[in-house]
Amino acid sequence: MSKYDIIGAGLAGGWKVTDASTLTANQVVEADVVVIGTGAGGGTTAEILAAAGLDVILVEEGRLYYQKDFKMDELFSYSHLYQEGMSRVTADGGISILQGRCVGGSTTVNWTSSFHTPDPTLKYWADRFGVKNASHADMAPWFANREKRLNIHPWTVTPNENNAALQRASERLGWAWAIIPRNVKGCWNSGYCGFGCPTNAKQGMLLTTVPGALDKGARLYHGLRAERLVMQGDRLSHLEATALDQDVLNPTGVKVTLRAKHFVVAASAIGSPGLLLRSGLPDPYSLVGKRTFLHPVNATVAIMPNEVNPFYGAPQSIYSDEFVWKKGVEGPVGYKLEVPPLHPAMSAGVLPAHGEALYEQIHQLPHMQSIIALLRDGFHEESQGGQVSLRDDGSPVLDYPVTDYLWRGFRDAYLTMAEAQFAAGAKGVRLVHMDSPLFSRWPEAKAAIADIPLELHRARLFTAHQMGGCGMGEDPKTSVVNSYGEHHHVANLSVHDASTFPTSIGANPQLSVYAFAARNATHLAGRLTDKA
Amino acid sequence: MASGVQSSEGIAMDRRGFLRAGLLGTAALSTISLGASLSGCATTPAGTVAHASGATAEYRFLTRDDLVLLRALVPVIVAPGLPQDPTARQAAIDGTIARMDQGIYFFGPANQHELRKLFDLLNFSVTRVTLARVWSSWDNASPEAVNAFLNRWRDSNIGLFNKAYIGLTKLTNVSFYGYRTNWHLSGYPGPPQPELQTLPQFQAS
Ligand SMILES: Cc1cc2nc3c(=O)[nH]c(=O)nc-3n(C[C@H](O)[C@H](O)[C@H](O)COP(=O)(O)OP(=O)(O)OC[C@H]3O[C@@H](n4cnc5c(N)ncnc54)[C@H](O)[C@@H]3O)c2cc1C
Ligand code: SF4
Repeated sequence: MSKYDIIGAGLAGGWKVTDASTLTANQVVEADVVVIGTGAGGGTTAEILAAAGLDVILVEEGRLYYQKDFKMDELFSYSHLYQEGMSRVTADGGISILQGRCVGGSTTVNWTSSFHTPDPTLKYWADRFGVKNASHADMAPWFANREKRLNIHPWTVTPNENNAALQRASERLGWAWAIIPRNVKGCWNSGYCGFGCPTNAKQGMLLTTVPGALDKGARLYHGLRAERLVMQGDRLSHLEATALDQDVLNPTGVKVTLRAKHFVVAASAIGSPGLLLRSGLPDPYSLVGKRTFLHPVNATVAIMPNEVNPFYGAPQSIYSDEFVWKKGVEGPVGYKLEVPPLHPAMSAGVLPAHGEALYEQIHQLPHMQSIIALLRDGFHEESQGGQVSLRDDGSPVLDYPVTDYLWRGFRDAYLTMAEAQFAAGAKGVRLVHMDSPLFSRWPEAKAAIADIPLELHRARLFTAHQMGGCGMGEDPKTSVVNSYGEHHHVANLSVHDASTFPTSIGANPQLSVYAFAARNATHLAGRLTDKA
Repeated sequence: MASGVQSSEGIAMDRRGFLRAGLLGTAALSTISLGASLSGCATTPAGTVAHASGATAEYRFLTRDDLVLLRALVPVIVAPGLPQDPTARQAAIDGTIARMDQGIYFFGPANQHELRKLFDLLNFSVTRVTLARVWSSWDNASPEAVNAFLNRWRDSNIGLFNKAYIGLTKLTNVSFYGYRTNWHLSGYPGPPQPELQTLPQFQAS
């Protein structure tokens, strides 16, 4: 079943899908709702609105790639499926940003780990930002609703050795650990989630809600960039969009004007604030783009006595939450422990070395095990996140200062990860840091990590989770949208994606995006069908 | 590159210029970019290039000067992975540079612009000497001199040089070790057989 090509069949069966690169003349189109972005937030929203009988148009800047294109080829995937051909970084270059840019958004390339929004996070949002109707009890049915839609279940197959090492370490050190729930159906346990799932097992937006919306008559334009939302009075009248060439790089010159009663922006953190800023929408308290969070990540790699083959098997199946909330919600920064899949290009791009030094590391890839720490940013005075602004060409860029508070967290995390890898039986452990040697014993690593210089570029930092920039809340002085994603100042505009989170999640965000988008889309569908 | 620019004046700038570029960051780099285009450095993509190895490649970002630069850098960055045979070795280097160009093409305008500034800085003789501290032109630079340059930028306590080191090595390493011909160097066996044998996208149509 998992081999069934839903997209190929849908296209042959008359879905209304337009590849904007093929348009030869400007167009004006109209719908009840225009949804911008087809990722976690946009896909979920489009299906629910279409099911409520609304006429929906989906606008996606990236292109439609699907099974026929998913050949487990790293270089192709990075160039075609990721933002800025995988070269996106923060303004000073200090943090590499992994983010999807294709139909399905980041869900087409994500690693399928599915967690509820942690309770302390929901409580913090209610207390600090007045977020309403989003307690654990309020959200529970929405998590259940999305778990059903996306077939989310704890992974039942034996974890690969990369993940098993984290489990073993946690058991030996007495740390909490658990099995990760995944959104897959008939998964082959192959390990290529980051390149577009080749077997159609991953239940991302590409194979679930986007087809669901198209089946109900929604229209999809891909290779079409939402350029500017245009106001008329206190409402949006239309969206101006730019058709891009087949490589999704250069405008073809064709413009599409999209008129609608309501607009839902779901172009993700960085993308959604970027669109709002480009459009010059009312922002009386200059909040748009501020408080953008990343779950900034640092990493260690270990050499294990046995083969790990970190390129095969479900990429993430074990996690440890031992250090997420331990020192208090508003205390020193907490972090979640997980493992990343390692393929040759990714590994060669992440290890900061050249010549013999790099070769020595990379030729041991089959024995390499890696742990990552995802820092929970946004819960402290000294963790106010980054700020999105626009480059001269109108594209968004994120300035994200790494504060001393975060550096302390990275140092703690290096210690934790190295300790875990030695506990799991590592022969050697190295920080993914320019100044790290290969440590052969834990006490040696422990002493050295205490003194290792924590500086941008030398410590290699990453993010696969962008959140915030259009934060939700009830007070227009501290939030861009209300608790249902409705813009405080523009009546017919909503934001339904990770950009609405007032802090980082403290767990991989996709299920939070799905649940809030489902809740907010259902609310919006009620509003729009009432009036009709 | 016009040889007239290689003046002793440029060399005298040495330490001060080196620090200043670090402190002024991108502002200094954009001035250099301007200097490079005024001094006769190639600023347009190389287009179709026939390599010594016999292959031709279409360059959409890298200029002819960049190709000279990268023919000096790439063999040092991936040295231990290159084949012994001189023809195969040259083909591996050229292929890596061609894939770097393809990768950069998809970076889009903003990061292409950043790389342009970096490459111009390395190509322009005054800044090559003062900032990279490589005395001879890239086509004459010895592997030892290139390696020393990379290590200087890596070990520098000026963040901008660390960042540039990462930029150069990451791009090269990804394009080299990530390519199927070189998978064996990392011990990666490639995608699993059951997928290759049964999934429709791998069957010849
Ligand atoms: C490699 C990787 C691994 C990950 N692994 C996990 C995981 O295991 N578990 C988890 O929970 N999360 C994971 N994530 C994160 C998760 O996928 C995202 O948090 C989630 O998809 C965010 O949803 P979103 O709707 O905000 O944005 P996205 O899903 O990114 O969708 C936004 C879409 O908007 C489009 N867009 C942007 N600008 C415009 C514009 N101007 N016009 C038109 N379209 C535009 C983009 O191209 C994109 O397709 C991972 C992410 C990555 C990159
Ligand atoms: S592990 Fe393989 S089959 Fe399973 S979801 Fe990921 S890419 Fe698809």
